[in-house]
Amino acid sequence: MSDKQLTDMRQHAQTLETEINKVVVGQQTPIRLITTAIFSRGHVLLEGDVGVGKTTLLRAFTRCIGGGYQRIEGTIDLMPNDLVYHTYLGEDGKPHVSPGPLLMSGENLSVFFFNEINRARPQVHSLLLRVMAERTLSAFNKEYHFPHMLVFADRNQVEKEETFEIPSAARDRFMMEIPIVVPDDNAIMESLVFDTKFHNVDALVNTIQADVLQFDQLNAFSALLQAKIEATPTLRQYALNLWRATKTPTAYGVKVSGVDMNRLVLSGASPRGMSMLMRAARVNAWLNNRDSVLPEDIHAVFHSTVAHRLVFSPVYEMRRTEIARELLTGIVNAVAAP
Amino acid sequence: MNKLIKPLHIGLLSLVLISTSFVANANDEPSPEMPEGIIKLSKADPARNVGFLMGDMLNRTITLEVKKPYKLIETTLPIVGYEHRYKGQVSGIELRKISHSTKENRDTTTYVIQLAYQVFTTAPVVKPAILPAEVVKFQGPATEEAKDGLVQYKIPEFYFRISPMAVFGAVKIEDDMSPLRQPILLQPYPEKQKLVACLIVLGLSLLGLLYILGSRAWLPLMGRPFAQASRQLRKLSAKDPEQLKTALSSLHKAINTTAKYSVFSDNIDAFLADAPTFKAIEAELAQFFALSHQVFFDTQSTASHDAKSLVWLKRFCKQCRDCERGLKPAKLKKA
Repeated sequence: MSDKQLTDMRQHAQTLETEINKVVVGQQTPIRLITTAIFSRGHVLLEGDVGVGKTTLLRAFTRCIGGGYQRIEGTIDLMPNDLVYHTYLGEDGKPHVSPGPLLMSGENLSVFFFNEINRARPQVHSLLLRVMAERTLSAFNKEYHFPHMLVFADRNQVEKEETFEIPSAARDRFMMEIPIVVPDDNAIMESLVFDTKFHNVDALVNTIQADVLQFDQLNAFSALLQAKIEATPTLRQYALNLWRATKTPTAYGVKVSGVDMNRLVLSGASPRGMSMLMRAARVNAWLNNRDSVLPEDIHAVFHSTVAHRLVFSPVYEMRRTEIARELLTGIVNAVAAP
Repeated sequence: MNKLIKPLHIGLLSLVLISTSFVANANDEPSPEMPEGIIKLSKADPARNVGFLMGDMLNRTITLEVKKPYKLIETTLPIVGYEHRYKGQVSGIELRKISHSTKENRDTTTYVIQLAYQVFTTAPVVKPAILPAEVVKFQGPATEEAKDGLVQYKIPEFYFRISPMAVFGAVKIEDDMSPLRQPILLQPYPEKQKLVACLIVLGLSLLGLLYILGSRAWLPLMGRPFAQASRQLRKLSAKDPEQLKTALSSLHKAINTTAKYSVFSDNIDAFLADAPTFKAIEAELAQFFALSHQVFFDTQSTASHDAKSLVWLKRFCKQCRDCERGLKPAKLKKA
């Protein structure tokens, strides 16, 4: 029965990707990675410029997986309680309290989008960390649960003023950091600018098939998937070697141009990070119709699951994206399997 | 007394004049030929009859054995400086030295005449020349043909060729097939050169064959990754299933060493771009990685853990070794 479930769900996953690709063009790799994150039940940090289609992408996913979609904008004056409730004076002249974005959809919340998370204060980060880690929230003397919630946060890497860099502990809660870049293909670029169907996001999102997946079944299915997809001892050893290489890249002969390798890495990938890496790798193997994880499955998610977890010396933080990409490529090239 | 002496002087003078006129007559006038059987000739001519240049000396030794009472009139011998003429033209062959000796035998007299001629002519091309037939006279008994007893004997001429001082224009030897010329010998040098070239080619071919078929590390460029892997795989036995893993690991190591980075099925294209000689076995490389996946990463599959796979790997390794050496590998059957 479980094999049939895996096969059926794989078909649904393929349908999901096909539908999303209809409305978000030229983003096959991010769509595959977000699909992987959804089936791995991991939160996602999106990185990209403004206006590249992140909101459309998330709304499209929400329509396909069902459940509630909530969004909040990160600002410097945003306080943690703004995520939980609103207070206002009603028509009757009395103060009223209404649920904030986190509570509005209740347990049916499936996608919570935090736009420009690095503009919010650390207090807000702190609240979000707990919600991400425990999927619970205490408010009004009550414990709220969000068992199906996935957090998608957007980080503006260009502007640094009036921003609060997300601490490494917060970054580590995200399963993936996925770059969203404008496609380089001329035909796609022209289509994005001149095709009128992209003008109205609501209408665009409504064109895709709704409820391809059942958001409230994903947790159970994810557990089944993780149990079914296996990793051989050779693969496990390979993953451990990759982990060690993120901590001590010099031991594997990894070099990054213009960087003192002895000073670069303050902290490599965390155990939680490697666990998330393997969860995502299992999903990638399943999406590719395999029963076992291959090194290539790890490669497919290695950059997106590990890069944002690395802690570099402050002197190299300004070049984080570029250095992390070169470092991780060097690690994949240096570590052999078998 | 004076009257007696004067007629005596006149008589002697007359006798001398008569004698001189007789000798002069003997030298100039043709005489009858020597009767047959009287004279026996033997001669020693120059050893060769071609290749003489201006200034060269030609020596002849003429031995005449004449029956008695015939005697050589020595004044009929040619004199030094004498230059033979032919149709009024000087021949350019001059007698430089002459000597003779006489030996009296019981019935014969032997005259040995040494003649030395020098060449004083040349031509742009090979020129025929001749040591003239010298005519000497003998005094013998009076006969009907030779009433005064004088007979002449003609020493045979000697034909030879004078070479030019320098070759004038192109010489086509086939147009000068003189019987005087020695047979033209074939020069063995071109054949020798061809033989040496063939031996060099053969040696290089043998080295090439040794390079292709050999797998020893002492040969040049034989310590490369796939050559080493090939030696390791040759020691493996198909009986032990674990040895398939060893073989795969050796090949992975060789591929990674060649590429200088870890090669997986998702970066084969980059590897082929970096090492284009391996493009010939692109399909086999994909097959290798599929087999590696089955053995190392697929917990379900045991289908390929057999002897056939190891045999296939050994052949695949040789293909890689050929690619490593820039050779065109042979196609393999599927495992």
